[in-house]
Amino acid sequence: MNTVPVPKRRAAFSGSGSKRKASTTQIISFITLIITTFIMLLPLFFMVSTSLKSKREMLKFPPTFLPESWQWSNYTEIFDTLQFGTLYKNSLIIGVVTVFGTLISSALAAYGFSRYRGKGNQLWFMLLLATMMLPYPAIMIPQFIFFSKLNWIDTFLPLIVPSFFGSAYNIFLLRQFFSTLPEDLFDAGRIDGCGELRMWYKIALPLSGPALATVAIFAFIYSWNDLLAPVLYLSSTERFTLPVGMASLTSSRFRIPPWHLLMVASVLAMVPIVTLFAVAQKQFVEGIVLTGIK
Amino acid sequence: MMNKLRLSSVFLLTLIFVTVIALSGCSGGKSAAEVTPGTDNNSSKSGGSKDEQVTITYYTIDSEDRTFVEKLVPDFEKEHPNIKVKVDKAPYEQFDSKLQTLIAAGKSPDVTSHYGYGGFAEYYNKGMLLDLTDLIKEDGFSAEANNIPDNLIKIYTINDHVYGIPLNMYVTLMLYNKDMFDEAKQPYPTSDYEDKDWTFEKMVEYARPMTVISDDIAKTQYGLDFFWSERDNRPLYFGADPYSADTWTNGGVPSETYFDTPEVMAAYNKLFDLIFKDKVSPTSEWSKSVAGQNGDPFVAGKIGMSVGGSWNLAGANDFPFNIGVAAVPWGGNDKVRSTLYVDPLFILKDSKHPKEAFEWIKYLIRADIQEKSIDLSGGNPPVNTEAAEVYYKHFEGIDPQDIKNVYEGAVKYGFESFNHLVTNYSQINDMFINEMQPIETGHKTVEEVMPVIQKKVTDIIKR
Repeated sequence: MNTVPVPKRRAAFSGSGSKRKASTTQIISFITLIITTFIMLLPLFFMVSTSLKSKREMLKFPPTFLPESWQWSNYTEIFDTLQFGTLYKNSLIIGVVTVFGTLISSALAAYGFSRYRGKGNQLWFMLLLATMMLPYPAIMIPQFIFFSKLNWIDTFLPLIVPSFFGSAYNIFLLRQFFSTLPEDLFDAGRIDGCGELRMWYKIALPLSGPALATVAIFAFIYSWNDLLAPVLYLSSTERFTLPVGMASLTSSRFRIPPWHLLMVASVLAMVPIVTLFAVAQKQFVEGIVLTGIK
Repeated sequence: MMNKLRLSSVFLLTLIFVTVIALSGCSGGKSAAEVTPGTDNNSSKSGGSKDEQVTITYYTIDSEDRTFVEKLVPDFEKEHPNIKVKVDKAPYEQFDSKLQTLIAAGKSPDVTSHYGYGGFAEYYNKGMLLDLTDLIKEDGFSAEANNIPDNLIKIYTINDHVYGIPLNMYVTLMLYNKDMFDEAKQPYPTSDYEDKDWTFEKMVEYARPMTVISDDIAKTQYGLDFFWSERDNRPLYFGADPYSADTWTNGGVPSETYFDTPEVMAAYNKLFDLIFKDKVSPTSEWSKSVAGQNGDPFVAGKIGMSVGGSWNLAGANDFPFNIGVAAVPWGGNDKVRSTLYVDPLFILKDSKHPKEAFEWIKYLIRADIQEKSIDLSGGNPPVNTEAAEVYYKHFEGIDPQDIKNVYEGAVKYGFESFNHLVTNYSQINDMFINEMQPIETGHKTVEEVMPVIQKKVTDIIKR
């Protein structure tokens, strides 16, 4: 009876030994992670710290780590210098509608590409992917002429409407996802008398949360950061977007840019992206795993 | 099932349609005609004048020191009830691409300047500019009446045809950090251009005691930073011509360049000696580490004397130390000690209302408006000499007499900047920055690099 527990204890001991080994590697990797995280967060820290410095302190070298005097007023000043509220609102409107447009159009097109086989199916898809190779500056002028013929200059329309016509990257992403859905589901739907469009939004869409979240985040970030198109199409200050306004702060060749205000703007501009990512994080990570796209 | 399908499609289409309509509603507050330059179909709107109402567009950089003109528009419109001015703008980096797109789409602005990367020669050679000669004659406009020095008007005159009216004039000047001079117990440099003792060598002597090179980057400081004009111009300061004299009569296309001659190379060596032999100037890496990619270490209080464009003065009221202005010392060229950067206003060729556009230009160079602009812009130097007195007094803690001396001397010994006048200049400038990098970091010598530059400049000019 007594002999039995010994090997058990040994086993337990060696087990805990291996556990200890594992925990040393764990500790090392943990420390590495903490250090890396710290290094990665350093620019972010400086962004926030600079956003609270005075104009004079911002010019100091070596830069101070924490502000000597905390200028919370920078956060109100940005609203006076830049019409920040208007810019923010404009960017949000464009961003949200773009996401909506991209989701509807891309999901619809992707559904078609993944579920239906027809003549030249592959060719059309290749053509679609080929459009990804056209850089924006290549289509910039013809597109501008087109939209100006429609009298859409200095409105949000040129920035929003194209999203209702799908984008190759998102269609590709969603098509890969839709192709993984079992055909049986749709057969079942057909037997129950479900129409094609209804199958799309009753079966395909609800199952595609992660993929749709990924597309939504990509579309929003793209629209939120876009600078060239708003610069081209918008000409009234009250219709400018956030990146246009922020670019104006560093636009002077003759002045020291107000970096402290630019950092305030950057901190505030980060908020929607961080919020969106925090809310959709689980879906987003799943989306990447399921579609195999990084 | 068919019904359901139809219903859903109708629902979807309506949704898209409604969104698009709603959006056009919320964003289309202005009619396109008001926004679009050169269209005059909004004549019925506002004004109430008998004349036909026209809208002209002034295209500029979206930065505080340029968009201040928006504040001048209401007064102008009051004086000219038949003209409306729309200010269109873009950030510096996107200035050229937006302008080109606007012109290509037939929405050319009426008035602008070479505010982006391109210079006058590029605009001129692409045929973008309207010949103002007839307008000037018809209007009876004279530079003299507007207190614009005659030689400034000549800069943008080619074969007796005028293509631009000067608006702002920047020069080269020296800014010095008074605090650093006081600490080194040194006398301040002179603002007098006629002082024969004030030479390049003397400047280097002044810089020595202020230079502290230490392992601790926080303690390191240098006596001098020399940014006299663009890189390709610099030999001119020492009396060596890099471009042939016909450049100015040939539409900005030099027939010859001399970047590999012994004189030009000796001039560059003299400049790089400041960094590597005299060790009174910082390397470009050091400057970047102290002040960021495009920053200026002078602003961080780490440089004793900085020779550069007078736009550096515009930020002076914000510097965290006391500054003074001084003359650019004599470097070996009896005629040229300063580069003049004269920003003109152009009317673009596609303008549908050149007459009204010319009214706007005349307004902007009027003495009282130029005076107003100095304050509104935060220190843009006027081209109108009558307004200059106000400019000299604009900077806190600097003796207006010093600024006056420096400006007048700089104009007397000034030379219009190559970057406005040589063709394909943005490419030339990029090439110089790239090719000179190894010299600046000490990896190559001037003798190795200059023959390569000479060949590349020739190729770019031929394009």
